[in-house]
Amino acid sequence: MTLALLAAAPKGPLDTWSPTLFALFALLLPLIALLVIVAFTIDSRRLSAAIAFIFTLATVVCALIVVAIELAHPLHLERNGTFLTFFTGQSGAAQQFTLQWGVLADPLAAVMLLTVALVSLLIQVYALASIRREDGPVRFFSVLLLATFAMIGVTLSTNYFELLLFFGLTTLASYLMIGHWWQREEATAAASRAFIVSLIGDVGLLVGIAYIYFRFNELNFQALAGQYTGGKVGGNGLFIMSILVFFGAAAKSAQFPLHVWLPGSAQAPAPAAALIHSAGAALCGVYLIARAYALFHASPRGLALLAIVGGVTAVLGVLFTLFQDNLKRAIAYSTMGELGLMVLALGIGAYGAGIFEVFTQAWPKALLFAAAGVIIRELRTERMAEMGGLWRRMRFTGWVMVIAVAAAAGVPPFSSFWSKDAILSKALAISSAPAIIVIVAVTLVGAIALVRIFRLVFMGETARRRRFEPERIRDAGGRAAVAMAIFAIACVFAGLRGFRGRTDPIAFVTFPGVAVSNSHLVAAGTIAITAIAGAAIGWVAFGRRWALPGLEPIRGVLAEGFFVDRAYRLAAAGVLLPASRASGWVETRIVDGAIDLVSDSVAFAGQPRRWLGDLRLRQLLIGLFAGVVALAVITIVLAGRLIGKTG
Amino acid sequence: MTLLQAIPTTTAAPVQFPTLLLTGMVWVPAIAAIGLLFFPARTDAHRDRIRSFVLATTFVVLALGVLMWYGFRDQSGAFAFEETRGWLAGIGSSYHLGVDGVSMPLLLLSAFLFVFAALASSRVREQSRDYFVLLLILETGVNGVFASLDYLLFFLFWQLQAVPIFLLIARFGGPRRLRAAWKFLAIDLAGSALLLLAILILYFKAPVRSFDMVTLHDVALPATMAALLTWLFFIAFAVKLPVLPFHTWFIDAQAQAPAPVALVLAGLVVKLGGYGIIRVNLGEFQDAWHKIVGAVVVIAVVTVLWSAIAALAQDDLRRLIGYVVMSHMGLVLLAAASAAPVAVNGAVLLMVADGLTAALLVLLAAAIVERANTTSIAAMGGLSGRMGKGAVLWVLAALAAIGFPGLAGFVGQLLIVLGAYPGHRLATPLALLGVLAVAGVMILTVQRILFGPLPEHHGRIRDLGTLELVNGVGLVSLIVLLGVLPATLMDSINFSVITLLTRGGG
Repeated sequence: MTLALLAAAPKGPLDTWSPTLFALFALLLPLIALLVIVAFTIDSRRLSAAIAFIFTLATVVCALIVVAIELAHPLHLERNGTFLTFFTGQSGAAQQFTLQWGVLADPLAAVMLLTVALVSLLIQVYALASIRREDGPVRFFSVLLLATFAMIGVTLSTNYFELLLFFGLTTLASYLMIGHWWQREEATAAASRAFIVSLIGDVGLLVGIAYIYFRFNELNFQALAGQYTGGKVGGNGLFIMSILVFFGAAAKSAQFPLHVWLPGSAQAPAPAAALIHSAGAALCGVYLIARAYALFHASPRGLALLAIVGGVTAVLGVLFTLFQDNLKRAIAYSTMGELGLMVLALGIGAYGAGIFEVFTQAWPKALLFAAAGVIIRELRTERMAEMGGLWRRMRFTGWVMVIAVAAAAGVPPFSSFWSKDAILSKALAISSAPAIIVIVAVTLVGAIALVRIFRLVFMGETARRRRFEPERIRDAGGRAAVAMAIFAIACVFAGLRGFRGRTDPIAFVTFPGVAVSNSHLVAAGTIAITAIAGAAIGWVAFGRRWALPGLEPIRGVLAEGFFVDRAYRLAAAGVLLPASRASGWVETRIVDGAIDLVSDSVAFAGQPRRWLGDLRLRQLLIGLFAGVVALAVITIVLAGRLIGKTG
Repeated sequence: MTLLQAIPTTTAAPVQFPTLLLTGMVWVPAIAAIGLLFFPARTDAHRDRIRSFVLATTFVVLALGVLMWYGFRDQSGAFAFEETRGWLAGIGSSYHLGVDGVSMPLLLLSAFLFVFAALASSRVREQSRDYFVLLLILETGVNGVFASLDYLLFFLFWQLQAVPIFLLIARFGGPRRLRAAWKFLAIDLAGSALLLLAILILYFKAPVRSFDMVTLHDVALPATMAALLTWLFFIAFAVKLPVLPFHTWFIDAQAQAPAPVALVLAGLVVKLGGYGIIRVNLGEFQDAWHKIVGAVVVIAVVTVLWSAIAALAQDDLRRLIGYVVMSHMGLVLLAAASAAPVAVNGAVLLMVADGLTAALLVLLAAAIVERANTTSIAAMGGLSGRMGKGAVLWVLAALAAIGFPGLAGFVGQLLIVLGAYPGHRLATPLALLGVLAVAGVMILTVQRILFGPLPEHHGRIRDLGTLELVNGVGLVSLIVLLGVLPATLMDSINFSVITLLTRGGG
């Protein structure tokens, strides 16, 4: 309300304040907090958490101000501030090429900034309750701050290069978060895998950036936006650029077949997993596509690539979810489905709707992981087969889970219904049958899969296990409950808007030249019916734990994630390692053997080595110098002869 | 938005300093070494005094280096701090020193790394005086190579560091030190002989009887003669770099040398090879260099790929670091072969960055090996529980080594790839694959050393001590500084590289 008042004032602060300045504050505050913690309060759990919280709160305030300014004056790619020269160099053709650190505050960046900051803040509140003393809370909060800093950096980058730097930092942050419990083999393996996949993506992106740089001699998003269509680069060039940029995005956003790291990311502690999946690493890729949208928009084949890969990822993601038994991995796979849907949306030109989906999905995903964290902590298992019957014992968690599932599945009036509706509207508007089918199917199966999770965890009877007493299960309480409640509220209200026209909360995020996808009733109705039908099917189908014999083989394939993971591992173990061993053999036996022969003859066939240890320094020096001089003389004589001959 | 534009751009007027600075950087360590010979070394107090003296010496050199760096701000790309004194005038050689943007960063790197090497030498107890004498002579040799502008002087300094390295490895190294030392000496002498041969041929065939690089650089030679010289110089430098068939001395030396010496080897000595190729092959024989570039690119790419593949199955932590450094030097060679300004900029930057990174890796590896009591990666694990600070530093070092964005190596590698790609559209992606493989290896190594359960046989493991921490944090700060603001070095490198490449037509 105050923000609205500020905006309404004739010459209010929102007209005069610089959004980039506040964006810069938002960027630096988490970093400062991190440094303060590392330097001063590394031994105090409470102080560190307090510092993390206060600084992130300040970040949220800055983000709100940026959003308010952008709401008052939406400008596209025009809010660009550069601060420090990163690099000045000579490009190929002797003209100056400068890279600068800077921040950019346009509507897209503002929305993402607010999402990241807010999710991070709530995650910290939740983590206060869920990360215990023995889990290394100070390390955890430091890494959370690092992740926040990296994500904000990604959202505020002014050029491809800066974005790549922060991409790297995001990779590092997720590596540290996934590998938080470093004693567990599977956690560190998952962390390494996430890192390597991200790194491969980053290298692809780097190659793409290099290509863009060569053709345009420019890396700034703002300056580049108008140049793609200028005819400087042909269609094929633009397509290659979009492939490479998308490769980087795909590794980050778990697009098929680079999705192998995503299920492993569930190894992170629940708050960290919530951050990664709602506003963290996983969304970086989608953001990159949105940020580089001018490139994709200039290349129709690039857009088609987005749509196809996104569609495949979405379908596979929801199918994997449907057959996954591990609770956190199931939620992770459902994220994969949503990420695919976002990319699909961007691919069919639903720019605003795709971003809207990012915004509406962040809250249910964070909430699902937060609830899963509570459940797993109480039940001490991650397998859904061993859960059940929690509705009576964890009423609060159950209710927020209902909201989260509804919001993620697209049940009206919860958050992602509105964004899915907008995406489908666009698909209807361009009357693309495959897109419509994929969106409806993903909504349907996604709803079934999410309801299945709820059904398996909360309904039925709690499975009896040794040394586990269901009576001791306690519901979420205190700060964790507060954070979850706020997430739940966001799940309800994040998407609300009217039916006519784009009046949703982030309607000011638009892309010049891309028609805003107005919702129409057919789309809204279809999504509502599909989501509710999916939920009903899921509710009925998983009411009892049917064993469907016909589905077993499919189950095996899909629960394994289509063996993509295993294929990668086979390739590594079957090709690279033997090659490496062979090279080691060649090196010791052949290369080194030959050199040993030489060095042995230098060392007089190995005999004099014995006295070397006892020899005094001086004699040795004299001897060696004599040897060097002798060698020099021989060389000079030889050289003289050689020169005499050639000259 | 002009929030922070008050930060000065580097156009301050050049400051005048006494010209002896460069001579000081080169000779102060040698003089200190001679002085050190007269120190008594019987008791522990004596040894501590020796150490403090050596530390003070390296700090003096560092101070001179930093002072020079401040004076070195004019961006003309010409040689600065030139000193020419008559010396062996009869045969046309003179004592000619000078630095430009290519050698200055490396000289500064040398000054820094020797401070770290001296700091890290606290473990040397036996014959510590001999050790430090040799270390200081080595510093003179390294700095001398970077500073000389006279071929004969260049060769003498080049030769001057062979002996200390040999003795340091042979007397203070690990269990298989003699083998490593002889191997180093054999290959190094062979390389030096070629270098001398090349210098002498150049001397006798040039119309002017001079050893001076500046005088000789636009001398006209027959094409075949120039090609021969380029090959000779290239092989002499490439042996040091190290490139593929001649790299085993480096890997063995990495495994056997005492940690501070391994630091100097990986951080500086191999950089001499890269520096030589840029200064001589690229700067003086550019036309001939362009003719042999095809072969050089092949060697570079094979070196990068081979080191990456060899690193994959390497179980010895210290040898692994050797391969990582080798792969970076292969990239430097690729950049030099491309002869594109951007790539050569990147090569210089990567050499500085890799020097810092290699130093950090070597020191931490030594600390880890000492605690785990094994060099085998497979036998380690779970160390992050016992040495948290060490784990943080090791992760940072690994990231720096793989060219992680925001750390020193990144910009260098990026520029090399950017610069080399237009000329070598197949070789550059192949080299990039090698870089990626090294990255994978480093990450898996982090996982295998630091994480997972702690093996039973590890006894009590302490975290890093104060000294190790000081070294580590110092190096990390430099790495981050260079990664976040490479512009601090880039401006002067850039102008000199442009000058070097444009005047090198020969």
